[in-house]
Amino acid sequence: MTKYIVKRLLFMVLALWVITTITFFMMHAIPGGPFTSDRQLPAAVEAALNAKYKLDQPLYVQYFDYLKGLMRLDLGPSFKYEGVSVNEFIATGFPISASLGGLTIVFCLIIAIPLGITAALKNGKWQDMLTMFIATIGVTIPSFVIASLLMYVFSLKLGWLPTFGLNSWKGYILPVIAMGGYALAYLARLMRSSLLEVMGQDYIRTARAKGLSEFKVVVRHALRNALIPLITVLGPTIAALLTGSFVIEKIFAVPGLGQHFVSSISNRDYTTIMGVTIFYAAILIAMTFIVDIFYCLIDPRIKLD
Amino acid sequence: MPEDLHVNDPWAPLEIDKDDREKIWSQSSSFAKDVWYRFTRKPTSLLGLFLLVVLVLFCVLGPSFVPHSYEVQNLNFVNIPPTFNVYNVEGRYIYLTPNLKLIEVAEDGTLLAPLARINDDGMKKRTTFDMGGGAELVLNYKAKPPQLEDSERNAITDMRQVRNKTYPLGTDNLGRDMLIRLMMGMRISLLIALIAAAVNLVIGILYGGVSGYIGGTLDTVMMRVVDIVSTIPLTLYVILIQVLMGGSSGILSIVIALGTVYWVNMARVVRGEILSLKEQEFVHAARTLGSGTWRILTTHLIPNAMGPIIVTVTMLIPNAIFIEAFMSFIGLGVMPPMASLGTMCNDALSTLRSSPYQLFLPALAICLTMIAFNFVGDGLRDALDPKLRK
Repeated sequence: MTKYIVKRLLFMVLALWVITTITFFMMHAIPGGPFTSDRQLPAAVEAALNAKYKLDQPLYVQYFDYLKGLMRLDLGPSFKYEGVSVNEFIATGFPISASLGGLTIVFCLIIAIPLGITAALKNGKWQDMLTMFIATIGVTIPSFVIASLLMYVFSLKLGWLPTFGLNSWKGYILPVIAMGGYALAYLARLMRSSLLEVMGQDYIRTARAKGLSEFKVVVRHALRNALIPLITVLGPTIAALLTGSFVIEKIFAVPGLGQHFVSSISNRDYTTIMGVTIFYAAILIAMTFIVDIFYCLIDPRIKLD
Repeated sequence: MPEDLHVNDPWAPLEIDKDDREKIWSQSSSFAKDVWYRFTRKPTSLLGLFLLVVLVLFCVLGPSFVPHSYEVQNLNFVNIPPTFNVYNVEGRYIYLTPNLKLIEVAEDGTLLAPLARINDDGMKKRTTFDMGGGAELVLNYKAKPPQLEDSERNAITDMRQVRNKTYPLGTDNLGRDMLIRLMMGMRISLLIALIAAAVNLVIGILYGGVSGYIGGTLDTVMMRVVDIVSTIPLTLYVILIQVLMGGSSGILSIVIALGTVYWVNMARVVRGEILSLKEQEFVHAARTLGSGTWRILTTHLIPNAMGPIIVTVTMLIPNAIFIEAFMSFIGLGVMPPMASLGTMCNDALSTLRSSPYQLFLPALAICLTMIAFNFVGDGLRDALDPKLRK
């Protein structure tokens, strides 16, 4: 176990380094400096700016400076906002995005697991059909379409919910549903198929033969095993939610990190783009790692590595 | 003889025909036939296939039947819905737009021309329009909802609903035809689908095949590359490439991003298949007969892995379409004036309250496209590999 964890940690560092390097050199391969794309600056001003941000130094020096900063968890200053560091952007934006994302995951699991269980236990009946219908709809409609349609119906036509912001609990409802739609559908489908598979196993027949109640059979024996595939996909699901937040935050004007990331792209704020990309990558790698470890802890049959 | 057999002696044994017994009565079935049979048994996959054909015809042939261009703006006819109410003013039909302009419409719903504004009395909240030939029409916007009055201040109430004949699906907020823009947007979606499929089928298969068949250190290195690539979501790659290539690159950056990283899942699938196939006897036989690595890979291994490959491709295509729409929606994909379903949805948000059809149409188009690909994909998966059916 320890050996596996150490190996995974080393790989995480390697992956992060590769991503940092690629992002760094991509951002520096853009023709023209970050200050030339705006209106023409006097040469002296531009030189001063370049010197301030150390852009006048050779690329490899900048690269090692950046890596050194990264080791101290310092992502450098923003190019477009004077005196604001990328760390500050993340510190203000990420908690908002994370609370929205966390709520969405909880919402998805709370709805998807019972839905999937009902569908599997009522296999072929109307409950199953309904669940599969919802799941198909959820998988086929992109989140931004769901978001816009929800906003049209509930905010503009009915006027029940606010169109933007997270000022009250009401503000969370639409973003959470829109963001979680795909994950919810996917998880419900997975829950259904995995429970169906487990219910056909021999040990379920044994449990029934012992005379256990159907409730105990499902909860104690079937469900525990059927939840394992769900945990495996939680990592990728978190990744999808994280990137899905770009568009949801834009539509509902949520001042989160995703919204900030998108605007830094249109502003060509290279250090922010670079820093936030690396931050996202680090979060994702860490999430997958945690999920994998968790997965091994729950299911002793899975051998590490 | 057989006809009168039972007349003579119902209990007489039948004559046994040796050739008859050996004959294969049913038609022999090939793999492709089996797959097609299983595919057509499922109603949803047929529906998906039908939708897909209709969508392809719609966006490939459609634009040649539409008289408008996707980029020409007509600022006289902005935000005109597919159906609207017209006022009957002495035999002439007038449409009152949400932003308080008057457009003359023919009886069948053809848009003619906007009426010229003579003067605007801001105090009384009345605008006078020129009907031609000295006649005038007054728009009273003090009333809620605004109403039309003739020169004697009598409100005109004679209204009827007509379909927009000039623009069957209406116009967007710059007066461009929605129909042709939908067609162009779907062309982009299908183009992305084609590119995603091509990338997976070429790079993914070769990469996974080489990695799986050659094995050893090469395999380890190639798979570590795949591991690293797959840690970042595709959206971030597209964004980085978009930034690198500059704002005007549009769809090209999405294509490049797909081309550079979208094959990793396929490579994993193919590698797994090849690993289990390469130990089988027919591969040993081929090697004994002197076939080279390339030949074994292309003629023996890859065709045998085709089932999972096709299943994976059909699963990855909707995702690629989705990513294009997503990127265009947040303004990082297709650049104006080109239409994409994502940009159309985004444009519609600003006028959502007054012109919701501008959102509904592209949303419907995206959903239909995704449903078509998902249904065909599910059908193909079940047909190619019945074991996977869920």
